[in-house]
Amino acid sequence: MSHPAGAEHAEPASKLFIWVWIWLLLLTAVEVVLGYEQYPVKLMLTMLMSLSVIKAALIMAYFMHLRFEKLKLVLTLVPALVVILCLFSIFFFPDSLRLMNLGWGR
Amino acid sequence: MSDAEVRVEALGAGDWGGGSLPYAVGSKKFGMWLFIISDALTFSALLIAYGYVRLANKNWPEPFEFYPSLVTATVMTLCLLSSSLTMVMAVAARKREDRPATMKWLWATIAGGLAFLVLHANEWLKLIGEGMRPFSNPWGSPLFGASFFTLTGLHMFHVVTGVCFLGVVAVATGRGKFTSEDVEMSGLYWHFVDLVWMFIFPLVYVLSIHHG
Amino acid sequence: MGEPTHAVHVHHAPKGFIRKYIFSTDHKVIGIQYYFLALFSVVLGMLLSVLFRLHLAWPNANWDLLGKLFPTGMAGGLMTPEFYLSLVTMHGTLMVFFVLTTAPQSGFGNYFLPIQIGADDMAFPVLNMLSFWITFVALVVMVMALFATGGAPLSGWTAYPPLSALGKISGPGEGLGQTLWVISLAIFCVGSLLGALNFITTTLNLRAKGMTLLRMPLTVWAWFTTSILALLAFPVLLAGGILLVLDRVGGTSFFIPAGLVVNEQLVNHSGGSPLLWQHLFWFFGHPEVYIAILPGMGVASQLLSTFSRKPVFGYKAMFSAMLAIGFLGFFVWGHHMFISGMSPYSAVAFSLLTLAIGVPSAIKTFNWLGTLWQGKIQFTSAMLFAIGFVSLFVTGGVSGIFLGQTSLDLYLHDTYFVVGHFHMIMGVAALFGIFGATYYWFPKMFGRMLNEPLGKIHFWFTFIGVNAIFFPMHIMGVAGHPRRYSDASNFNYLSSMHPLHEFITVAAIVTATAQLFFLLNFFWSLWKGKKAEMNPWNATTLEWTVPSPPPHDNFGGKLPVVYHGAYEYSVPGAKQDFIMQDSPEKIIEAT
Ligand code: HEM
Ligand SMILES: [Cu+2]
Repeated sequence: MSHPAGAEHAEPASKLFIWVWIWLLLLTAVEVVLGYEQYPVKLMLTMLMSLSVIKAALIMAYFMHLRFEKLKLVLTLVPALVVILCLFSIFFFPDSLRLMNLGWGR
Repeated sequence: MSDAEVRVEALGAGDWGGGSLPYAVGSKKFGMWLFIISDALTFSALLIAYGYVRLANKNWPEPFEFYPSLVTATVMTLCLLSSSLTMVMAVAARKREDRPATMKWLWATIAGGLAFLVLHANEWLKLIGEGMRPFSNPWGSPLFGASFFTLTGLHMFHVVTGVCFLGVVAVATGRGKFTSEDVEMSGLYWHFVDLVWMFIFPLVYVLSIHHG
Repeated sequence: MGEPTHAVHVHHAPKGFIRKYIFSTDHKVIGIQYYFLALFSVVLGMLLSVLFRLHLAWPNANWDLLGKLFPTGMAGGLMTPEFYLSLVTMHGTLMVFFVLTTAPQSGFGNYFLPIQIGADDMAFPVLNMLSFWITFVALVVMVMALFATGGAPLSGWTAYPPLSALGKISGPGEGLGQTLWVISLAIFCVGSLLGALNFITTTLNLRAKGMTLLRMPLTVWAWFTTSILALLAFPVLLAGGILLVLDRVGGTSFFIPAGLVVNEQLVNHSGGSPLLWQHLFWFFGHPEVYIAILPGMGVASQLLSTFSRKPVFGYKAMFSAMLAIGFLGFFVWGHHMFISGMSPYSAVAFSLLTLAIGVPSAIKTFNWLGTLWQGKIQFTSAMLFAIGFVSLFVTGGVSGIFLGQTSLDLYLHDTYFVVGHFHMIMGVAALFGIFGATYYWFPKMFGRMLNEPLGKIHFWFTFIGVNAIFFPMHIMGVAGHPRRYSDASNFNYLSSMHPLHEFITVAAIVTATAQLFFLLNFFWSLWKGKKAEMNPWNATTLEWTVPSPPPHDNFGGKLPVVYHGAYEYSVPGAKQDFIMQDSPEKIIEAT
């Protein structure tokens, strides 16, 4: 099924992908600079994770072609992941924070 | 309703034509997407577990030096990102029915993956040489080594599978087999492996850099 | 390659025994393979349960014969506590994973999902075969765990660390046996998630012309929803399994805290948290219980409608409720952890969300009753099991509502009340779904009818039997009897309950024996049963439009076109009291 009905959009040009690649490298460079400068850990974590999410979104949207697929596909795939990640974060971390406050680790 | 008259009418099959695809994506690509979602959850769970034990342990070490650790990891990132770019080119070439170009780009992608693997293996050996083990390390919580080896190990395993997968695709493409959807599907997998690294790199490397 | 959607050429069945029956890519053969895998596991699991029931009822009796069979676990005919725990562990694991997850979903789902949506096979036939063989390897490893040197694993089907993570020092069976157990489950996860993505793709992409989502039988909806759950839940167990294996063989301590003293030895681990495993396990574990029961819900809807000769009451509500249950099922795992040391704020949220699941469950129950209401009910064996399913679902669901409230669960947790709850609903309700499906689809799968009188005897023995087994457990739980004690006779406050233990064991033996009616019926009918026609139940869905058993490519090279919803029974004015889904006529009553 190399040509699913109605899926033939104009193929984006290579130039676009090269730009995405450059952007990904730039964002990585920002991460490296953050690693060099060292900010307070909460700030680091927030910034790094935001950068990672942007990078992931770029990869999914352009390299993995999601931007050129039907919106329906994106809405089927991505929310499940996001919801589950939120669930993990909401319910796992309070318990680990408690361990932190108990002074786990020697 | 003894004398009710019954009319029988030909019926339409409704709006589902059958054979058209609800997402306008072939089964293979869609199946690969589902696999990626599932695999992404395995990695998410592992990363969350890493965050969990790291938060819980006050004695979590941050032993990596900016040079060479982070620099190496950055070069590794460069390898993976560039191999993603060549993969995109391979998919585009296959869509143009340009098999020789497809193969060329695929081998370039594989080269990127192999370079990543070589650098990574080298780094593992160096860390093992410094006394890091899954069960202990010279710097602090034993879980540092445990989570490092688990996360990067599983990722490395994915890279190895990806390289083999792409090798098969490249050879088959050369022999005139495999559709453009097959190449695209392998590409999806490869980009996913790249994507996972985009989280491992900051969480495992950047956040483990020695202060000061 | 990816061109199966409108294949018009006839697929020829592969020649040769091995390609045809062993490494077959035909979804029907694979479905039957899964079914037999589950049948093997259920017999094994049941025998194990009879063994430990004997011990519970007569803990000090001397079973010489068994002593010879199990020279270590039952040395001198007396069961050791460790052997008891191994039996419970293996029973639970085999039943949950290799029976309840395998038979209704991978077994019947594989066989009937493609036919019911009018496809000639799954989207990925080779992957399908692979999923089966991966599951098969998982079973082999699990059976190896049962016979591992040092004994079978004994940390329960939930494998809580630190017991499950420490290895040999925590007791016999916690060496090689437990390691094999974890590896088997990890393999099982891979097989299941590959199967799940195949099911989802098939349902979405391969439906025949006219098979809109709203015309899909509820069984298809159930398999579809279950697959989504499996796709999202199994990878998390896989992650947990990887970490647990590493704790056991790699020396890591993800789940092992510092300063543990086990069997008078200080454990050299630090920094891990057993709670982390519980989170990972139950994040999978609760969706898993729905993976076990949802296909049963689909089957019950199908059978109740067919044998009441009435459309399913509230078709849209039915599949929406199923989707809602699946969705909510991801938000409630913490109700298994109320007294684990989890944050009490989380417990409140989990409790409320758990009770919310009661709503879609109740919708389903009332709609089943609505389907029966004023129907022309035919009490076939299949129908009896479907009604039994509803009954057991209610019994088990109500006790679930008790357990979902933190205040009550603090007391009831880890008592026989929980054992009663989950056996009623997951153990036997899901099993009734499997039985119902077997009585209903056996003619299609094997081309012969099962014997009806034997089926009815089987039903009544089983229905009364399981109630006799599991109902008293609720009473014991409320009276404070903890689960997983191998011998309660040492405890004064439990001794008054001993007669109940004896009663349960007798009931269990009778019920287990009554399963011979089923096995006898099954294997006798396989060869000697009455030949089945194409549509013995006058049902409407597509599998009844093809011969029994269907040809290799299901529809003989010509895919059906669908014009009707799945449950058009007793349509006023129609020639018969049912309209097949592929019948191209519309009945319009003129007055
Ligand atoms: C109305 C719906 C339900 C509610 C509110 C509910 C609630 C609960 C709660 C709170 C527990 C934990 C008890 C404890 O360990 O203290 C539990 C255990 C359990 N439930 Fe349910 N449940 C429901 C339906 C189901 C269904 C449909 C199944 C399976 C098909 C199921 C299978 C189980 C199993 C297997 C366990 C015990 C696991 C173990 O500890 O070994 N439940 N249930
Ligand atoms: Cu639950």
